[in-house]
Amino acid sequence: MEFSHDRSGDTLVVTASGRVDGSNASDFLESLQGMFDPGDQRIILDLGGLEYISSAGLRVLLMAAQNLDRQSKSFSICSLTEAVGDVFRISGFDQIINVFPSVEAAKQG
Amino acid sequence: MDQTYKILVVDDEPDLEPLILQRMRRQIRANEYEFVFAQNGVEALEKLNADSTIDMVLSDINMPKMDGLTLLQQLPGVDPNLRAVIISAYGDMDNIRTAMNRGAFDFVTKPIDFDDLKITISRTLEHLAEWREALSSRDQLVALQNELSIASQLQQSILPKNPPVTDKYEVSANMEPARNVGGDFYDFFKLDEQVGLVVADVSDKGIPASMFMMSSRTALKGAAIGVGDPAMVLEEVNNQLHQDNPTFMFVTLIYALFNPNTGSLTYSIAGHDPPMLVSADGTVTELPLTKGVALGIAPDIVYTQETVELAPGDTVVLFTDGVTEAMNANNEQFGLTRLADVFEGNSPDSALAANEAVFECVRNFAGDAPQSDDITCLTLRRP
Repeated sequence: MEFSHDRSGDTLVVTASGRVDGSNASDFLESLQGMFDPGDQRIILDLGGLEYISSAGLRVLLMAAQNLDRQSKSFSICSLTEAVGDVFRISGFDQIINVFPSVEAAKQG
Repeated sequence: MDQTYKILVVDDEPDLEPLILQRMRRQIRANEYEFVFAQNGVEALEKLNADSTIDMVLSDINMPKMDGLTLLQQLPGVDPNLRAVIISAYGDMDNIRTAMNRGAFDFVTKPIDFDDLKITISRTLEHLAEWREALSSRDQLVALQNELSIASQLQQSILPKNPPVTDKYEVSANMEPARNVGGDFYDFFKLDEQVGLVVADVSDKGIPASMFMMSSRTALKGAAIGVGDPAMVLEEVNNQLHQDNPTFMFVTLIYALFNPNTGSLTYSIAGHDPPMLVSADGTVTELPLTKGVALGIAPDIVYTQETVELAPGDTVVLFTDGVTEAMNANNEQFGLTRLADVFEGNSPDSALAANEAVFECVRNFAGDAPQSDDITCLTLRRP
């Protein structure tokens, strides 16, 4: 897993690439939450470089999403590859977490 | 040191006992060491057998009745974790080598240099303490592995055996766990004239996943008996699982209800890969996905269901992603296309044959690559 992030105003865009499965899912959550600042109101996770996500990875996204929701912050993911998009569609997670085609669309969202 | 170590000194020279008690008096007073004494190997064995709290033996070599080298050979029979240090004549390399070969931990030479002896004793006891710690970790690991294997047996034992094979329908099901305890399961049960079929995959693995799996299975079976329609069953199970789920576990599954008299199959999907239909003529199609979400993550989700009529010779294949995401040595996934190819133009002649074909093709594809996920497949065929 590799991460980078870009903050402008109260919006944080985190870019994640690689693979998330049972072996690194908890590291994924820790790295992700380590990037959040108290001032961030809107968090967008750009998964354009994500090749694979297992159910353990989905669970971590769910935990992050619920956590941010409790703090009344917005969380969305975007730029899914076809394979990862299928996982979200089939698991129904696209009905639980906001999914956008691009970072721009997520910012409009 | 927070415990008193007991050291047995074996020597036929009567001077050694007062000498040791005098030179080690500080350690004795501080309750670091306690010394007991024997005159020869026979007496030493008697004392060891009578007192299991002795930690270490310090023994001379030349003694009447039983010498130190013979005593060394006897020690493992008394307690394999005893540590022995030999006192030998200076430069007596033959006896020293024999003693080391017989399991002595270290040696000191005569005349005894007490500073050297203190260091040797303390090194030996440190080693013993580390060894005991390693042993206890190993015991804990063994206990944990035993528990895991019991959990695995429990899990395997709740998977129903002897799937029904009648002239109206045939079922076959198999689950190959990746680790000791996995998160997949299948189920089949009779509901009046109909048959309920389940294939499920719990997020993550190990003990927590298996506990979640057990409660999912019970909730589903209960709802199937009480509620009826697959979509309604999933709504009920979802709300039950969501109520008390602080760890955000979830389960994806297909619940299908087959009517053997009419051949109609009604199914509802909770975040799972849709089933595959193999027609009697060998055409393979993916059945439509229904609307729904993996169970347990959000309340009041609406599920929909689909109905398909099975013609005689049709087979439906329900599977978990352990099938489609099985990897080979080149990190390629088995995938839906290869799964469809198992049956394309090659309609199985029984549910069992269909099931075995899936597992065989996945195994052949994966080769020696390690299995990272549970593999589950359930097949239903209308003869």
